[in-house]
Amino acid sequence: MSTKGTHIPDWLQVPFAGITPAPSQKKGQDLFPTGNWRSIRPVYRDKMPPCNNACGTNEKIQGYLDLVKRGKYLDAYALIKEDMPFPSVTGRVCYHPCEQACNRGSHDEAISIRAVERFLGDLGQALPKDVVKAGPPNGRKVAVVGSGPAGHSAAYQLARLGYEVTIFEKSPKAGGLNRGGIPDWVLPQEILDREIERLVELGITIKTNTEVGKDVSWDDLKKNYDACILAVGLTEPNSARAEGENKDGVHYGLPFLRDIGMGTSTVKLGPRVAVIGGGNTAIDCAREAFRQGAQEVTMITVEGNTSEMPAVPEDLHDMLEEGIELMHGLAMTAVKGNGKVDALELHPARFTGAINASPIAIDREAPAVNFPVDQVIIAVGQHASLKWLPDEFKTPRGTIAVDGFGRLGKTNFFAAGDIVQLGSGQPLMVVNAVGDGKRVAFNVDRVLTGETLEPRMIPVDVITDLKRMNMTYFPHFPRVKQEMLEPASRRRTQAEVIQAYSEEQAVEEANRCFSCGTCNACDNCYLVCPEPCIIRADRSNGLYKILVDYCKGCRVCIEECPTGCLEGVPELDFDTGVVRMDTAFAITQGLHGRQATQLRELPNLPPKDIENWK
Amino acid sequence: MATVAPAKKKNVRINGCVAAAQAAKYADVDVITAYPIRPYTATMMALAQMVANGELDAEYIVADSEHSQLSIAHGASSSGARVFTGSSGVGVQFAYELYSPISGSRMPVQMMIADRTLDPPGDFGSEHTDALSTRDMGWLMGWSCDAQEAFDNHLMAYRIGEDPRVLLPQMVCQDGFFVSHITTDCELPDSGQVKEFLPPYKHPYPLDPRHPVSHGPQIMPEQGPPLQLERARAMEGAVPVIEDVHDEFARIFGRRYDPWVEEFMTDGADVVFFMQGGHAVTARHAIRHMRQRGANVGLVRLRTIRPYPTDRVMQSLSKFKVVGVVETNMGLGSVSSGGSLYAEACAALYESDTRPLVLSFMAGMGGEAIVLKEFYWMTQKMLDAQKRGAIEKRTHWVGFEE
Repeated sequence: MSTKGTHIPDWLQVPFAGITPAPSQKKGQDLFPTGNWRSIRPVYRDKMPPCNNACGTNEKIQGYLDLVKRGKYLDAYALIKEDMPFPSVTGRVCYHPCEQACNRGSHDEAISIRAVERFLGDLGQALPKDVVKAGPPNGRKVAVVGSGPAGHSAAYQLARLGYEVTIFEKSPKAGGLNRGGIPDWVLPQEILDREIERLVELGITIKTNTEVGKDVSWDDLKKNYDACILAVGLTEPNSARAEGENKDGVHYGLPFLRDIGMGTSTVKLGPRVAVIGGGNTAIDCAREAFRQGAQEVTMITVEGNTSEMPAVPEDLHDMLEEGIELMHGLAMTAVKGNGKVDALELHPARFTGAINASPIAIDREAPAVNFPVDQVIIAVGQHASLKWLPDEFKTPRGTIAVDGFGRLGKTNFFAAGDIVQLGSGQPLMVVNAVGDGKRVAFNVDRVLTGETLEPRMIPVDVITDLKRMNMTYFPHFPRVKQEMLEPASRRRTQAEVIQAYSEEQAVEEANRCFSCGTCNACDNCYLVCPEPCIIRADRSNGLYKILVDYCKGCRVCIEECPTGCLEGVPELDFDTGVVRMDTAFAITQGLHGRQATQLRELPNLPPKDIENWK
Repeated sequence: MATVAPAKKKNVRINGCVAAAQAAKYADVDVITAYPIRPYTATMMALAQMVANGELDAEYIVADSEHSQLSIAHGASSSGARVFTGSSGVGVQFAYELYSPISGSRMPVQMMIADRTLDPPGDFGSEHTDALSTRDMGWLMGWSCDAQEAFDNHLMAYRIGEDPRVLLPQMVCQDGFFVSHITTDCELPDSGQVKEFLPPYKHPYPLDPRHPVSHGPQIMPEQGPPLQLERARAMEGAVPVIEDVHDEFARIFGRRYDPWVEEFMTDGADVVFFMQGGHAVTARHAIRHMRQRGANVGLVRLRTIRPYPTDRVMQSLSKFKVVGVVETNMGLGSVSSGGSLYAEACAALYESDTRPLVLSFMAGMGGEAIVLKEFYWMTQKMLDAQKRGAIEKRTHWVGFEE
């Protein structure tokens, strides 16, 4: 009997025929760590979705779409409020660079992110108390000059950090460009009013009718506040540099809209109105002109066609629907009329450089076009009024000179928004001003708390290649359209043109999101793993873990990750969690485990002990 | 596990294949996996008929090859079913991968082997090489020499293999044609006797979704040795079980077999044949004739080769002057350059104080019959060696030498 007298030591006792409890999600297969078979390790590595990256204030768009998808609207609203004080406003006015960047655009149609943002913003408006609270007071005071998007955003973030914030606004009502630059039929005033109230609820003081340089001086700001953020925007309209611009009936885009917004407008439009300019403000002016009584509105642009115009395509489309005429390739060279405009002189023209802000070549030799009008609205850009600013901080292009952190030299003055961004290559839009205000507010905080300023993070990995996702999981599905008022009925009223999403529509649209490069807890990896090598405490981003002791690196989870968040990383890149041959055997205290331990101790043993060593 | 039609004891004339099928029916098997290959085919045909006639309520699965056939048998057994399967010749070889896993996972699958010479060329005749080549895979193994013994061995093998102390698969072998296709008298028992003899099969850890377990998981290298030791213990532990079961069988059915070796006319014998399987029936006739003519010849027929009854073989063969191993199997380039049974016999005798001379006879190769004349010739060779006190050579190719 060969097996007579044999015994199996306790540490080598194995279950009958190796039959063991079924592998569990918690521990995996219990007997043998197969992790050392792996050359590729699956790693959950969230990439920057292109929408988040394109957003001027880097809203966590993928994040809130995912929450909307799951019906967690309040969480979604709270998430958006991290970066954006007024989603109800940007949900209406934003030129949505996120949607241009959306990967779904090259699949079928981009996600209607702005419409979902508006759904969340309106939800926030309806809350009796906002989810955002002021931080515990830190005893420091910061002044913010200007209550437009940049000032609003900076003040909001500083209040959340516990600063005592005072906003100075020269107009009778707070809101800046949000109020003065955006017509009611895009952004109803009461929506903005509610967002301003939210600022006051955070403990922010807003001093209206208070103009810097007049009611409050540079030195006052320096003396009375720990820091000051200048977010004064571009308040002064550019001239078209035409003869006779000083005549009656010549209006400028931004003041035209601003006076209507502030309720102080005295403009009475005649039947024929021309708008000079091809940008977004010009479009707003043209559409507003109808609503102010004009019968024929003509937009005159230097650009040779619509695609050259620096305008958002859908706004242009909506404008043309309302019946506005377009004339391309013409510059206004003179305003004709005796004291009051009665016609415009137009000459063929083109941009000589890149589109927008480039020199214009006007062919004055060509026969002039005489274009009879009752009024002309000039909307060819804005510039700042900086008489109050010490000269050392002025740039040749008429903006405030700041360093990479928005700071004016070594002072505790900072600047944010259009007043900094004009001519910087950054498109001027509300969301960019909000983002600038946010970042500068955090920089102020760092300076005041003695921390070092960090340069703005450049996202390493923005996922833009659809091949990095598994597109088989995304059938084509059209975008949920927002309802709009009919062109004929809307062009005479101040009623909001674009209608809000219903809850169902918002969820349906959020459901279209690919969640590019970011784990959205779809559970696919958990389900497709041929062995239970993936565990999760809950269905949530960040809670999925690979059991590296057991994962053999078969790549099934990586291939089947719809979002491309799971990546295969060569095992050589790791120095932790690596299951090597010796550690594979040493995981339980078996023969090889003991041998591995003994071998490690070998160099420490004196030679004569090694002779007796067992 | 359901219905065997109650049967009264009756005497029938059946061949070995049908006897095996009858035994499976009496054992009330749950799953039959089959793939045709002669001569085993007759067993699967008989079982198919029983299932079709409603005599036996079992899952009858025709696989796409012997490999699948044994894989299915493995799976079915893992789920707790009593499984019957079988094959012949190259079919046995094609399923080779499964033999160690089945015994390693301790699944008492039963396999009927009707021996067939391995290719080449295609040959239907019996040679034991097909099953013998798997002899060290952890299966209980033994040869029957007629239909009655085949029937009885199949019933006993289930009882032994399913014993909780053993839990090993069994190969119940019979010579193709000589046993599988020749009808002999066979007593089929009363179903009540079988019920008393063979309790329902119960594996301790069957695959059951309500109580999940992992069968055959990966283990660490250091966990291999204890599992191999356990399998060796099970094989050795089968020895007393085999003896008990033979006693129990004799008590219930009235037929007593020595579990290890059948000794035929060994009293006063100087020379004996040592062999397995159906040719022993011819050997018995030859021995009776030669005894009448004064030759002191006998027969020691090995009934169980795994577990190998080493001590019993030593004890038995040490009584004689010369042992002639009738191989009926190929052991090319082996110890004796003949068959593999020689090595088994010699190894058992090595520690004996009275070692006989051992000769190996290559007879019945390719499934050819071993005729009486050849047994006489072999006896003469043994007697010559006895007289000479030495062997002429280890292996004789019967029919090719003077």
